[in-house]
Amino acid sequence: MSMPELSYREAVRDALSQAMRQDEDVFIMGEDIAEMGGSMGVTQGMLDEFGPERVRNTPISEMAIVGSGIGAAMQGMRPVVEVMYEDFLTISMEQIVNQAAKHRYMSGGQLKVPLTIRTQGGAGWSPGAQHAQQVEAWFVGVPGLKVVFASTPGDVRGLLWSAIYDDNPVVFFEHRTLYGLKEEVAEEIEPIPIGQARVHRQGEDVTVVATGRLVHESLAAAEEAEQQGVSVEVVDPRTLQPLDEEAIVASVKKTNRCVVAHEAVTRMGFGAEVAAVVQHQAFDWLDAPVERVGAKFTPLPFAPVMEEYVIPHAKDVLAAIQKTVQRDGAS
Amino acid sequence: MANEVKLPRLGQGMESGTIIKWLKAEGDQVEKGEPLYELDTDKVTQEVEAEASGVLLKITVAEGEADVGTTIAVIGEQGEDVSAIEGDVAQPVAEVAEEEGSPGAQREPERERGREATASEQITEIREPAQGNGAGARIKASPLARRIARERGIELGSLKGTGPEGRVVAEDVERAADGAPAQPSAPAPAPPGEVERVPLTSVRRTIARRLTEAWQAPAFQIAMSADMTRAQELHDRLAERVKEGEAKPTVTDILTKACAAALMRHRAVNALWAEDAIELHPNANVGIAVAIESGLVVPVIHQAERLAIAELAAARADIVTRARDNKLRQEDLDGGTFTISNLGMFGVEQFVAVLNPPQAAILAVGAIEAKAVPTETGFESRPLMTLTLTCDHRSLDGATAADFLRTVKAFLEEPGLML
Repeated sequence: MSMPELSYREAVRDALSQAMRQDEDVFIMGEDIAEMGGSMGVTQGMLDEFGPERVRNTPISEMAIVGSGIGAAMQGMRPVVEVMYEDFLTISMEQIVNQAAKHRYMSGGQLKVPLTIRTQGGAGWSPGAQHAQQVEAWFVGVPGLKVVFASTPGDVRGLLWSAIYDDNPVVFFEHRTLYGLKEEVAEEIEPIPIGQARVHRQGEDVTVVATGRLVHESLAAAEEAEQQGVSVEVVDPRTLQPLDEEAIVASVKKTNRCVVAHEAVTRMGFGAEVAAVVQHQAFDWLDAPVERVGAKFTPLPFAPVMEEYVIPHAKDVLAAIQKTVQRDGAS
Repeated sequence: MANEVKLPRLGQGMESGTIIKWLKAEGDQVEKGEPLYELDTDKVTQEVEAEASGVLLKITVAEGEADVGTTIAVIGEQGEDVSAIEGDVAQPVAEVAEEEGSPGAQREPERERGREATASEQITEIREPAQGNGAGARIKASPLARRIARERGIELGSLKGTGPEGRVVAEDVERAADGAPAQPSAPAPAPPGEVERVPLTSVRRTIARRLTEAWQAPAFQIAMSADMTRAQELHDRLAERVKEGEAKPTVTDILTKACAAALMRHRAVNALWAEDAIELHPNANVGIAVAIESGLVVPVIHQAERLAIAELAAARADIVTRARDNKLRQEDLDGGTFTISNLGMFGVEQFVAVLNPPQAAILAVGAIEAKAVPTETGFESRPLMTLTLTCDHRSLDGATAADFLRTVKAFLEEPGLML
């Protein structure tokens, strides 16, 4: 069986296209996704294949985009709507939080909202404070929503498929700087269950729980740490809600030390939730406090040098790793 | 803000050190990590690095002995007023130095608290053999370390933490559980010296203190002689096989091996007195008393029971060389479960060694001397060596000790029995 190489961007397109080919209920909506093929090029060529009824441009109104997606979903379709920058989820918050997340519960199950909201974010290219935030943590705390954040082409394809076919509203985060990342993937789409973590690298001394771009930064830090004699296990939860607590806790019980890493600001970031879960369920297994790696607490600067300073990198993950195994006193 | 340089506790059991010389002078710029002064502890002389960058504003203890925790210097910014900081005497047990005699009547309540703390802690200081995290203070230990300590019945307070800010981490507890006691071993008694008023070095002071402690143990001694014929034959055969560059096995190595093997058969002797329990240790970590220029030191050969004679010889040669070159590390001195002291090379026929607390026993060995031994047909000359075992009666009884010594003797008289 041949193993085609797909970029993260192509993997997203592949999941959308294959779902749309086999299932008429699946359609996509968003700003500039039709002729332009999406601001990130994700939906290139899809207008030609599927036509304007199923690849729909929208006005610049995230409230309308999500709202109409909710309506279509409640009517039995499986829409995948796109919010071009996750910073603009803010405009659609009411629809996502008060409507999409609540309808099933408040209707006693009579209404379903099988909506997938795709969005992207990520710094590193001077997009400025309003175009590069990482807001996934906000949605993890909303009962009724599922939140997914994949970090590799294979994962994003398998998880997007599962999100489309999940009967619940899923907020599906992609990372801008990963769109070009290539990986060999299986010929056929292998759906990945929502709520299942992935261990990228086995280790003995410390567990790093990372998401998005920081999965790759953490793997680089782990290589460096290995040279220094510290064996690092890297775990990507992939789904933030529901969280694979079992896998994460099992890993920390093995290594006795934990670092959480994400590009979002450390304060109230997703890492805080993971740290709380870890300290609660693995309290007697912890040999050091849980270290958190995230962006510094500031709006993202525009100047490249400042942006570089604010967002976390492999070296910050490495420093956190070293902190967990640090020794001070003579033995 | 000024940074007080305090005398560090470089090893468990270290209570004071002697500043030999300062490598920077008052007014010099120092960088964090730069060697700042030379410190002589009970065991080793080493350079201590500066922990902060800045100007060395004041040296409060220029040279000589200071207790651990004493402020010995101040690093800060040029022009800062540090006249209030003096080289004060730290509480021996607590980690933080209390200031005494600091200027200003408003410090009186603090001083009062300091004096009270001093008074109560000085009494307890003598009783506590191990320097822990600070008597009565909250013990900093990771949750994992606490659990392991609970499971294995180890007292957290007796451990020195190697984690950040002195936190006890799992490794510290595991090391204690695996038979590395929290104590450095004390040297065996010094050979008789000349009568001359020699000021005490920190090494000597430590020997004096620890052996006075040892004297509190109810000790008894049992003696036997071993016929070293077969041991000497073994030694000669092994010596023939030694290759260029390898350490030549000595009779002491054979003796160490015999003791290690015997300790594995008589586990009650491979024990440490732990106040409310007797710790039986799984490995025979045999300390060898070595005479060095500054006195005596007892480096340890760890897990001696697992080493072949050739490996023992190499290990012994290495630690003796490093002991004489003053290059022993803390790990060479920690963890002993039994000690051998050999004065045979000085012509001593028989002697009684002082216990090396908290070890249960110490073996004193004399010179191998030709003695007349009755046989069936008359008398024969045999090379005999005295073995005198001093035992801590709290850990060991006479019968157990005698059994052990008999095994040692049997191993020496027929090394094949060790197989």
